[in-house]
Amino acid sequence: MKEWIFTTDHKRVGILYLIGSMAAFAVAGIMALLIRAEQFNPGLGVASEPTQYNTWLYFHGAAMILGFLIPGLTGWAANYLIPLMIGAKDVAFPRLNALSVWLFWMGIVVALLTFVIPDPPDIMWTGYPPYSVKTAGNTAFYVFTVHLIGFSSILGAVNFITTIIYMRAPGMGWKQLNVFVWSLLTGLIIQLIFVPVLAAAVTLLLFDKYLGTHFFDASAGGDTLLYQNLFWFYSHPAVYVIFLPAMGLLFEIVSTMSKNRPFNYNALVAGMIGIVFISGEVWVHHLFTSGMPDWIRVAQMVTTLMISVPVGIMVMSLWGTIYKGSITYNTAMYYGASCFLLLLLGGLTGIPLAMAPLDLHIHGTSFVHAHFHFIMGIFAAFTVFGSVYFYFPKMTGKMCNETLGKLSFWLNFIGVNVTFWPLFYIGIAFGMPRRYYDYSRIPEATPYHHIATYGAIMVGLGITLMLVNWVYSAIKGPKAPENPWRSASLEWTHAVSPPPHGNFASPPTVSSDWTPYNYK
Amino acid sequence: MSAHATTGQHWDTSTAPLLVAVGCLLTVPLPFASYFQYHSLGMAVGFLGIGVPTLLAGISVWVKEGVNQKHDQFGYSQMALPIFITSEVLIFLGLFVSYWAVRLWAPLWPPAGSPHIGTTIPIIMTILLVTSSYTYHVAEGKLEEGDMGGFKSMLGLTMLLGFLFLGLSMFEYSHLIGEGFTPSSNIFGSAFYSITGFHAAHVLVGLCTFLAVLLPALNGKTNMDFVKCAGVYWHFVDIVWFFVVSQIYFW
Repeated sequence: MKEWIFTTDHKRVGILYLIGSMAAFAVAGIMALLIRAEQFNPGLGVASEPTQYNTWLYFHGAAMILGFLIPGLTGWAANYLIPLMIGAKDVAFPRLNALSVWLFWMGIVVALLTFVIPDPPDIMWTGYPPYSVKTAGNTAFYVFTVHLIGFSSILGAVNFITTIIYMRAPGMGWKQLNVFVWSLLTGLIIQLIFVPVLAAAVTLLLFDKYLGTHFFDASAGGDTLLYQNLFWFYSHPAVYVIFLPAMGLLFEIVSTMSKNRPFNYNALVAGMIGIVFISGEVWVHHLFTSGMPDWIRVAQMVTTLMISVPVGIMVMSLWGTIYKGSITYNTAMYYGASCFLLLLLGGLTGIPLAMAPLDLHIHGTSFVHAHFHFIMGIFAAFTVFGSVYFYFPKMTGKMCNETLGKLSFWLNFIGVNVTFWPLFYIGIAFGMPRRYYDYSRIPEATPYHHIATYGAIMVGLGITLMLVNWVYSAIKGPKAPENPWRSASLEWTHAVSPPPHGNFASPPTVSSDWTPYNYK
Repeated sequence: MSAHATTGQHWDTSTAPLLVAVGCLLTVPLPFASYFQYHSLGMAVGFLGIGVPTLLAGISVWVKEGVNQKHDQFGYSQMALPIFITSEVLIFLGLFVSYWAVRLWAPLWPPAGSPHIGTTIPIIMTILLVTSSYTYHVAEGKLEEGDMGGFKSMLGLTMLLGFLFLGLSMFEYSHLIGEGFTPSSNIFGSAFYSITGFHAAHVLVGLCTFLAVLLPALNGKTNMDFVKCAGVYWHFVDIVWFFVVSQIYFW
């Protein structure tokens, strides 16, 4: 026990990240089920009062993004995999790494206090003023959750960027890195640059609410839209902090299971670097309806659509990777393969939202809600789940139960599609607004909400089964062979499962013709 | 460093990270919310009473392990600090952009009712901070020559200049608040106190870092990486001050 809570080892820190982020995911998932229950019929009143419903929305959004997706990808996956993939003993700053994970846990604690304190935060995960300043709710806890997890992210980014630059195994060139290493490096550069701006924005929000400043108070010379601009200046790039590492994990699964190198590696990496450059110039598409000169709308429409170029390159690489591959279909690959569809669905529905003339009409409808759930929520979550199955033998030394794994996969996969297809439709057909507590003005949407709620219940069952399977297999699973997927990457070829402190018996060196994808 | 009995392998541990993280939670979010959201001074003081010692204990364990080289030192601190400073630059940029946004769209600046803010104090503060950057540079030189006594006295002088800087800042604040100019007076007050206050907080962090260099140095222990990093951070805080002065006082 002492060797766990005081650990500075990157693998154990990684597991602590996984436990914390899955806990956040589970509670935020329950919030999602409550939200779906409330929306089952108009005016059902599952929430005792509308403010309680707002609290659910707050916790679902904040915990899913700040508590699950970002720490799951840049916390668990980065910690566990980066030093192993680049052949390092540990990260550059092991104690700083342990501080990152515990700061993240403290952020989760503050977020979970939502359920026990009077006047919990009720301001979504966006915290827009003026409501967040005027509400009786505890905006301070929202701000401090962002601060704690944000500071943890910045320290993590510093740590991993240093590790990747300076601690690669002797002989490992930039073109020999795993795709995940590249995706994480680019994602963390975005994180390093943009998280501080969010921290500044919420700090000013805190001052406005509690210390009487006027930054976002238009009646005293402030600017309400300033907050929205600062917030999305971080929060749109945050999508790429999630998307890039998710894409990297997907490539690890798909190439290994197809026994094929990532197609067009150089262009793929160039696409990731391209996203770093474009990601900071697109945030205004979140504000298309907030009032601005038309020329800004047009400019931001163009930059937003430009994002689809690097993303398109990555998707082509993905398809090229399975082309003529020898594909093994196991649970990890089920998740990997489902991501092909999720990427298309989420990506293509983003295009109309990038177009200002269309977006003015569908902004804030459940079409948007379904779009970003597919591309950011479900796609990224599925890559995390798929990689937990993929790295399960590495982390525990045991094999995960495939039958339960596939069963829970089908429940999750069918469930998310059943949930979000109707939401696409009612967003367009009836203009169903996002986030509504009661939709009695739009009774014709009711049957679609029924279907969506049934889908959510399926996902709930699937996730429960998945978590049960992980715990069961970690304890009772059969012993795993050393390299069950016949991967060529260092973490499988040079380290035992689970790896000891220091990772490798002797520090690995690689030759110039080595790549992590030289399958035999 | 005890070997694990059953598996024969040991796992590095440190109590410092968990102590610092719990200390942070108890020192800032909980007392702040107790006092400002729930108006309970007693609860806030209670959290601070547990939190501050926890945080200090964590930091002192951390520094102790650092100067004794107890852990794997990969020696990349001086490469990593500029990466961290990148994010610090962005947080200041976020504040300045907010300031520019409200200022450039304001019909009248400074808004009616703002007092005239003199430039004498900021000029003295600038001289103090620039001098302290120089004295720290001299201190580093002394340490490299192996002159421990010279290092300690120059470090002490640097800290004295830093404290004088903060003292002048407090003097200016109390003077302005005495004239009725507070963060809630108008948007200029909000921006003025937020930006100068945020910079002053960085000066304070820099001084605490120096204290963490000085205390082990009194026992003759130093870590060159730590000394260099503290210096780079201090120079960064110094450079930010030029932006604060030019944007707030001289524009």
